[in-house]
Amino acid sequence: MRFGVLLRKELLELWRTYKMLAMGLVFLLFGLLSPAMAKLTPELLKMVGTSQPGVVIQIPPPTTVDALDQYLKNLTQLCTLVLILVAMGVVARERERGTAVLTLSKPVGRGAFLAAKFASLAALLAGSLVVSAAFCYLYTVLLFGSLDAWLFLQANLLLAEYLLVILALTFLGSTLLRSQLAAGGLAFGLWMATGILGALPRIGKVMPGELVGWAAALSRGLVQTAWPAVWGGLALIVLCLAVSWLSFRGQEL
Amino acid sequence: MSETTTIRTLLPVLIPIVVIELALLAAALADLSRRPAEQVRGHNKWIWVAVIVLINFIGPIVYFVAGREE
Repeated sequence: MRFGVLLRKELLELWRTYKMLAMGLVFLLFGLLSPAMAKLTPELLKMVGTSQPGVVIQIPPPTTVDALDQYLKNLTQLCTLVLILVAMGVVARERERGTAVLTLSKPVGRGAFLAAKFASLAALLAGSLVVSAAFCYLYTVLLFGSLDAWLFLQANLLLAEYLLVILALTFLGSTLLRSQLAAGGLAFGLWMATGILGALPRIGKVMPGELVGWAAALSRGLVQTAWPAVWGGLALIVLCLAVSWLSFRGQEL
Repeated sequence: MSETTTIRTLLPVLIPIVVIELALLAAALADLSRRPAEQVRGHNKWIWVAVIVLINFIGPIVYFVAGREE
């Protein structure tokens, strides 16, 4: 069976199990919500302040920097969690239910089976991120006046790599473990581990968290790069996929 | 900015967000109502009603991703 056929099957499955809808809507929602929250929070605090006598709250007016900060925060926290939830069962669930055997009993290579699964999730992630970024851009322009499109695109590319690393970690968990809950737990643990390692002096420079730091610096107009993290992230993705394939190749289904 | 103008400015922004939240909630409840209890994780539909209704945004997502069994 060709890779294209498998990929279509995977995408159809993501659609039929509502995973495509759920992830797309969550990303869309946080794309909309981030600039709105950045705009709304100081106004709400001011309302609280003025309703109590003697309380004066002075907050600088929100800018596009706050909107982008909020966007990066939401996508690297709640949206990442949803990504893990959606992806944790991708291989584990098929083995749990014994449906992987049905597909693999046809002339399908295990490599193509895994590649189609990862590619379908990566496509879903890319689509969701495009929707989220488009609405975030639109709402930031509506609420704050303007946003440098080139800069926003660069920030989103860095964000895309960060999310792809988390997807690869989840995929690894899903291939190594038979239960999807355990796979989700392992992915969550690995995600936390990259955060903890990111705080360490030397190894921290290649951890994916640096990518988000670079994206945040871009919105502030700072000249700061994190190329080691870009290469480190790519290496981590390749490593996760390679270990997944090596493990899956020898697994009894 | 006065309170009414703040609310008026932000209303067009907040309406789509509320619509998406309600759409998610409705889609999850519709799916749950069509499904026999055996096809729901834990075989108890009421627990899932509570999860979907009480936990904003994440509740319906958790139901779609982890609450259903084929």
